[in-house]
Amino acid sequence: MFKRVLIANRGEIALRVQRTCREMGIETVAVYSDADRNALHVRNADHAVRLGPGPSNESYLVIEKIIEAAKQTGADAIHPGYGFLSENAEFADAVANASITFIGPPAEAMRALGGKISARKIMEEAGVPTVPGANDISLDDFETAKREADRIGFPLLVKASAGGGGRGIRLVQTAEDLEGAMRASASEAASSFKDATIFLEKYVSPARHIEVQIVADQHGNVQAFGERECSVQRRNQKLVEEAPSVAVTPEIRKRICDAAIAAAKSSGYRNAGTVEFLMDNDGNFYFLEVNARLQVEHPVSELVYGGVDLVALQLKVAAGEPVPDPDGPLNPVGWAMECRINGEDPFNNFVPSLGLVDFLQLPAGPGVRFDTMLFEGLDIPIFYDSLLGKLIVWGEDRPQAIERMKRALKDLIVSGPITNQAFHLELFDNEDFRNGDIYTSWLESNFTMPQLPEEDPRLDTALIAGGLAAGIIAGATAEGTARPIGLSRWVAASRSIARRGIRVDGGRTGWRRGSASQ
Amino acid sequence: MASRFRFSVEGTNHAVSVEDSPEGVSVKIDEGDYFPIDATTSGVPGLFSIIRDGVPTQAYVTRDGRALRVIVDGRVFVLAPVGAGGRGRGASGGMADPPGIITTPLAGVVVDVKVSEGDTLEPRQVVAVVEAMKMQNEVQAPMAGTVKRVAAQAGSRIEKGDLVIEYTPAEE
Repeated sequence: MFKRVLIANRGEIALRVQRTCREMGIETVAVYSDADRNALHVRNADHAVRLGPGPSNESYLVIEKIIEAAKQTGADAIHPGYGFLSENAEFADAVANASITFIGPPAEAMRALGGKISARKIMEEAGVPTVPGANDISLDDFETAKREADRIGFPLLVKASAGGGGRGIRLVQTAEDLEGAMRASASEAASSFKDATIFLEKYVSPARHIEVQIVADQHGNVQAFGERECSVQRRNQKLVEEAPSVAVTPEIRKRICDAAIAAAKSSGYRNAGTVEFLMDNDGNFYFLEVNARLQVEHPVSELVYGGVDLVALQLKVAAGEPVPDPDGPLNPVGWAMECRINGEDPFNNFVPSLGLVDFLQLPAGPGVRFDTMLFEGLDIPIFYDSLLGKLIVWGEDRPQAIERMKRALKDLIVSGPITNQAFHLELFDNEDFRNGDIYTSWLESNFTMPQLPEEDPRLDTALIAGGLAAGIIAGATAEGTARPIGLSRWVAASRSIARRGIRVDGGRTGWRRGSASQ
Repeated sequence: MASRFRFSVEGTNHAVSVEDSPEGVSVKIDEGDYFPIDATTSGVPGLFSIIRDGVPTQAYVTRDGRALRVIVDGRVFVLAPVGAGGRGRGASGGMADPPGIITTPLAGVVVDVKVSEGDTLEPRQVVAVVEAMKMQNEVQAPMAGTVKRVAAQAGSRIEKGDLVIEYTPAEE
């Protein structure tokens, strides 16, 4: 087993990996940008190396700096987390060339799966169902493209092979629009990805997003840990994930897990990964892509498969151990759900919200897990994504998990940034969502946040508390009646130490103001 | 002794009266009747426990500029002083500013300033783009006018409430 693992990431996932390393007796190396100097993943590590200024392309995305940090601290393995360099084949190569173990798939598998057309071809050969489409089309031979389009049927999608983040995708309703869409997609792909290769795909709608967690070892074994459903999405961003899916029967589960295992084996995949599928209303599923890394939403699978620690499994298979039980039970126990707690204002078009965390109350109790980077005094950096934490619950069944999540969402208080908790609470009261009647475009086409606070019973409590607070600030509410023991402290709170940090910086000693509004 | 406070919540005004007597604290909301409450902030400043008719609720109150920010059961309410405009709704920026200035509704990095001195502004025209947390956010003009001065600089960091531009509002 490894002696010292460098975690090339930040935020909650860096903490997540650290915790498992610590439990396994492995030392951890944190890397950080200047903006993350104060972060928990730095405080909790055994070793810490500064990478550079806040922007990712000067810190967490600089391959040489991370390799240098690993060499300097004597790390024998690197865990990439998710995002940043986690699916970068060049990085995986660079790690291997430095004789350090990369805790993830081999670079060749990443490259093979990274191109959408090459991934489709691998899956077609392996007998994994892909979305009906045409891989070999080009603008030079429009007649062939048109014939293929007629075979697939409309509506269909024109996609870029190198595509990502929704770029290069065009929805085509009729044959007349095909040529224009192909030209637009190819030109967008050429400018975004320097690769104008395009292909056609049937437009599956409505569709659920179903993905299978797999772990592959170096001995040719692949173990599947069932499916997750991630159909609640906004602008291609997942907001709620659950395991299992209401739409997956044990029979479908067996077939989709077998398909995922075949996908992993045919691409030479190793370590943890996720095979994503689209599933239609009739239970037909189609390969979408492989996410060659640990996913944000991995905890929901952990909770319904006996509490398996997927990060520990990643470390073990990277060190050469076999997966525990390739023929393990496929059906989950209970129901797990995850809400992404993001720093964004759901009542204000989800505009990002950050600032200094001046108060934090964490949920607890049966079946509740909160993986977070938050602590009181954290000044949330502006450079990275808005994920503050992941609230995860386990229940005996879906209705219990839903009620448990609502309870936990109400228990969680984050003061400083505005979070999307209110959105999640509305969602968990929504009838379609409670019935599991959801698909990937459901949120954007069927759900709106109620806007008027006048209809919200919580407004009364807010006004009472606001009146009392204003009274205390103004000195109008006498001490001794409301019995606010912390009264004088509260008045001083906005000027208190909680809003500042003491920092010794390059020989300059002094107070640094938090960036939050005063 | 009773104190009366007026708040603007998402553009609607509310009045809260707090009556503080030896018998205890009573509160009145808008034109309703007074009702007794038992409230405490014991220990953590700003963390209120309120018991009304035997029903406890919890709220966390913190200052946000001149406003109060109150969190109740996962929802954040901004209680702004009446007349200060409150927080803009819907558009992602600038809508809460008084005529003549546009400030940024969030902290971040200015990635683009789209107007220069002397330019004519249309309502909802994008004047700058601020990036925070990997998302680009448009700062919009609340009304028509002419740009007087550009304060924000592309590439520089900006704090919530900082000036982006000054402009002369168009005559009605």
